Order: sequence, then structure tokens, then C-alpha cells
Amino acid sequence: MKKALCYLALTVVTLSSYASADDWSVYSTTLLGIEQRAVPGFADQTMAPAIQFFGADLNKLGDSNISMHMYGWGRVDLADKSTNEGRTDGDLTYAYMDYRLPRANGEIKGGRFFINEGVANEQIDGVSAKADLNKNFTLSMFGGAPVKLDWTKNNKGDYIAGGRTSYRLAGILELGVSGLYEGEVTLDTATGKKGNRPMVGGDIWFSPHRTVEVAGHTFYNVFTGGVAENSYLLSFKPLKVVTVTGVYNDQRFKDYFTFSNIHSLFNPFNGGETKSYGGGVTFVISRPFEITADYRHYKRISDVNTDNNGNSDRYGVEARLTLLDKRLRSGLAYHRSDGASGFNGYDEVRGFCLYEISHYVGSIDAIGQFYRHSIYNRGNAFEVIASAGYHILPELALSGDISYGQNPQFDDDLRGLLRLTYTINSKTADKGVKK
Amino acid sequence: MRGAKLLLPSLSVIVFLVITACSRLFSNESSLPASHPEALGEGRVECSECHQDQIRGILKPYDTISHSSEFIKQHRFYAAQNDRLCVSCHAASFCNDCHANELEIKPSIKLGNRPDRELIHRGNYLTLHKIDGKIDPASCYKCHGRTNNEQCIVCHK
Repeated sequence: MKKALCYLALTVVTLSSYASADDWSVYSTTLLGIEQRAVPGFADQTMAPAIQFFGADLNKLGDSNISMHMYGWGRVDLADKSTNEGRTDGDLTYAYMDYRLPRANGEIKGGRFFINEGVANEQIDGVSAKADLNKNFTLSMFGGAPVKLDWTKNNKGDYIAGGRTSYRLAGILELGVSGLYEGEVTLDTATGKKGNRPMVGGDIWFSPHRTVEVAGHTFYNVFTGGVAENSYLLSFKPLKVVTVTGVYNDQRFKDYFTFSNIHSLFNPFNGGETKSYGGGVTFVISRPFEITADYRHYKRISDVNTDNNGNSDRYGVEARLTLLDKRLRSGLAYHRSDGASGFNGYDEVRGFCLYEISHYVGSIDAIGQFYRHSIYNRGNAFEVIASAGYHILPELALSGDISYGQNPQFDDDLRGLLRLTYTINSKTADKGVKK
Repeated sequence: MRGAKLLLPSLSVIVFLVITACSRLFSNESSLPASHPEALGEGRVECSECHQDQIRGILKPYDTISHSSEFIKQHRFYAAQNDRLCVSCHAASFCNDCHANELEIKPSIKLGNRPDRELIHRGNYLTLHKIDGKIDPASCYKCHGRTNNEQCIVCHK
């Protein structure tokens, strides 16, 4: 109830702000799903969740540098329960005021929002500030309370603060250092033991030549005293139409999983690590036709359960064809996950096509998965989604999806979904509207 | 107690403002625009079709952030350094189709009418996660280790 009142208050504040905003947009998506489940030994179920997504951006408030943004969703189950939570649920994804300085990319935010700065990737209720400094330095800082999940009150810490600073050499280098500190995090759900979450990170973008780029980061867990993650990407563009990439990732679970709030799944006490490396080649044969081949090798090392040790590979190819001024977008992909000897593996094939003409849009998407070892006595799964939509007005679109599939969980999986999308803004059609 | 918890972040911002304002540390360069000045159509954009040189404010070539398949798969590296550029063209809700503290439905169901978008967990992923999770549990952790895991705890109690 308290949550619903908060949403209502925010909506009222947002809508009432229109009077003073001359640059605004509102977007809404309403989904009505329907699904029937018939499982032997259990009562048949019909699920009809109605989900409303709503967002608004009000720009140029006050002295034209202030803006307000909000987005959230709510669900009501019109028939049987569709999730393991209540018949109604909702979440305020973000709601914040933003003050943008006219120079230095300066910005101050307050409210609920996401932080994505180096080692920090968090949703917080708090404040943040950032700016470009002289001599090509940047600085950002944030602080507040981490937004918790509904299922328990102890899944995040009580407060969090952090920041990032970087140095840039135009067109050649960006070097960043970031850190965060989250207080009173539950480290062991069984005993309720709490501790703090201090993390630091370094990130880099380096382009020694216009055809070569390296991007990546290393995150260090100060609490455990170990490197949690190394993740790096090398890109090489020898021709305008060819991109070659190499990737390397290394996560050490003792340090990487330390602050998980599902210890039964991501158990840091069991140790172990995953190393992966690989690469890809993208070839734009002609502007509308692009083909990408990729390969990744994974090595998992377990400290406790040697059954989890092994070398696995994932590789495949994807082709995309875009025609008619992007009104026709299609693709075909094949990937194989070749799990280590003690693991399962699968082949995956997917094809899709989307076509827009006048007020109409239609698409079809088909995916098939073929397991190396049967799962629940079934060797494969497939799903086909057909969608058709119509723009009733330029701002209002109605679309419907029907999907049918068979998989190890369900002999027949038939679902329907109706989608009403409403997007309106104060800008004229030729002005930039955010996606 | 709550006031005390908010003291640290409030002080951080005040210190930030005092340091930068008093010592004139701000760059004099004008900020990136709040939104792209011209409408961008549906589908992937190729920034370097219109822009050359490097992007003001982030000091990187436009070609770096052209939205190729590989860029989209690896966009986390660029977003963590240059999110001020992302927001020129993307509303925050675009990111939240996939990245959120609590997602109600799979992105590929919410956007079932957009098969062209690079969305994870298509098809019957409930089965596949047992295989992918065993090969590389760290790949699950990025999105479900600390957030968006209310469906995970149904089985992984």
C-alpha cells in the first residue's frame, strides 16, 4: 500500500510538472498476457497478468537545465497467480531530478537512479555529481542507500558511496580508477553475519592506432584481498567492413561472488574460477548484409566439486540482412555450446524477420535448441513467436504476439500477448527523440 | 539513524561541489547535448555515417561507438566510461528493458515484436540456464548475483 501511494504521488508530481515543462515525453506500454498450464497431477491454471509500464521525461524545467525522469511498472493478475509473488506487484525503476551544467558535462542527480561508473553498477536512492575537469580529467561521486529487492530486507547493504576519476588523452587513451563502499552487507545468510563491501577498479580504453582498440577493466575486492575480475576486449578494424575482436575474462569466485545475496547459488566459500577467451569476426559484405562468426573457450576450475571442472566451447555464426531503408530486418544464426565431458551441451538455430509497411508491422521469430543429452526425456525445444501490430495513431500502437513451443517443461506451450504502446512528446517529428 | 546514513553521501556531494567550484577545476568545454538534434530511425545506427573526427566530451572517435553486433555485445565497457554519451540518444528506460533491479518479464517477451534487437535468454532459457550456468556461472552473476533474482530464489533457496 505504501509503495502504491509512493507511485501515485510521483505520478501526480510528474503530471503536474507539465505546466512548466516545454520539452517532455511520456511513454506507456500495457501488456496483457494469457497462458494456460495443464500439468498432470495438478489443477489446470489460467494466467492473465496485466502489466503496465509507465515513464516520463520532463526536460527544461526551471532554468532549462533541470529535468525530471521517472519509470516504473505494476502488475495485476486477472486470473491465477502468474508468479511466486503476490497477485499485485510493482517497482519504481527510477525517479530522479537532474541538473545539467551547460559546460563540462556537469550533472547532479537526486532520487532513485542507476549508477554505472567503473566498478559501480548499482541502483540507489541517493545523489550523484559528475563533471569533466581541466586537463582532460573527469570526476564523479555518488552516495545513498542501495535499492533492495522485495524478497527480504537483508539483500543489500544499508548505505553505499563511491566514485570514479579518469584521465583522457584525446583519441588515444582513457584511464579510469573507481571505487565503492557498501556498508552492512549480509555476508552469510545462515548466520546473519554482516560486513562491508569495499571494491576498487581500474578501467582502460586505449587506441594506439585508429584501427586498434583495447577496452577493459580489473576489479579488486578489498574485503577478500583478491582480484575479482579481469575483463578485456581487443578490437582490430583492418578495413571499414571488417572487425576482428578478441576477449579475455577471468572471474575468481571467492572474490567475485563474495557479496551475492543468494549464497546457495553463488557460494563464494566454495571457491573456484572461470577463465574464458575467444574472439569474433564481423564482415559487412555490403551495407545491408552483415555476417559475424564468434568463438569462446571456457575453463572452469572448482575447488570443491571436481565434477564442475572442465573445458567448454561456444561458437557459431550469425547473418543479418537489412533492406528497404531498415523497414525489413532479418537474421539467421547457429550456435553450438559444447559443454565439458561432464556437462550437457546444445545446438541452437534461430531465424527472424521483421517488416514494417505504412501503419503495419509484422514479425516472426523461430528458435530451436537440440540438447546433447536429453532433459526430462526430451531432446529438443522450440518456440515460434508471430507478432502483428498496427499504428492506430502516430503515438498509439496496438500489437499482438502468439507464441507456441515445446520444451522439457511443457509438452505444449501456447501463449498470447496484447501490447498497447503509447508514446507522446512535445517535439516535432524531425527533432531528436530518445529511443 | 537514516539521517546519519545519508550524511556520508550528502557530504560527498558537498565536498565535490566545493572542490570543483572553488578551485575552478571545471573544464570550459560546453556539455554534450541532452538529446540528439535530429530524429534517429528504428534499428541500429552507424554514427560514422554522418560524423567524423572524435566525439566532443568523451574524446573518442565516432567509429568506436558505432552500433555493430560486436559493439552491442560488449557495450558494457563503453557505457561504464561514457554513459553521458549514451543518454544523448537513449532514454534510461531503454537500458532498463534489460538492466534493472527488478524485471517483471523477460526482455524477449516484453519486446516480442522486436526480434531484431539483441536480447538475451530467447526461447526456453529455463532449461538452457542449467547448461550455461554450469559452463560459466560468472555470466549469470552479472545480472542475477545481487539484483533481479526474485525468480532465482524460488528454486535456489
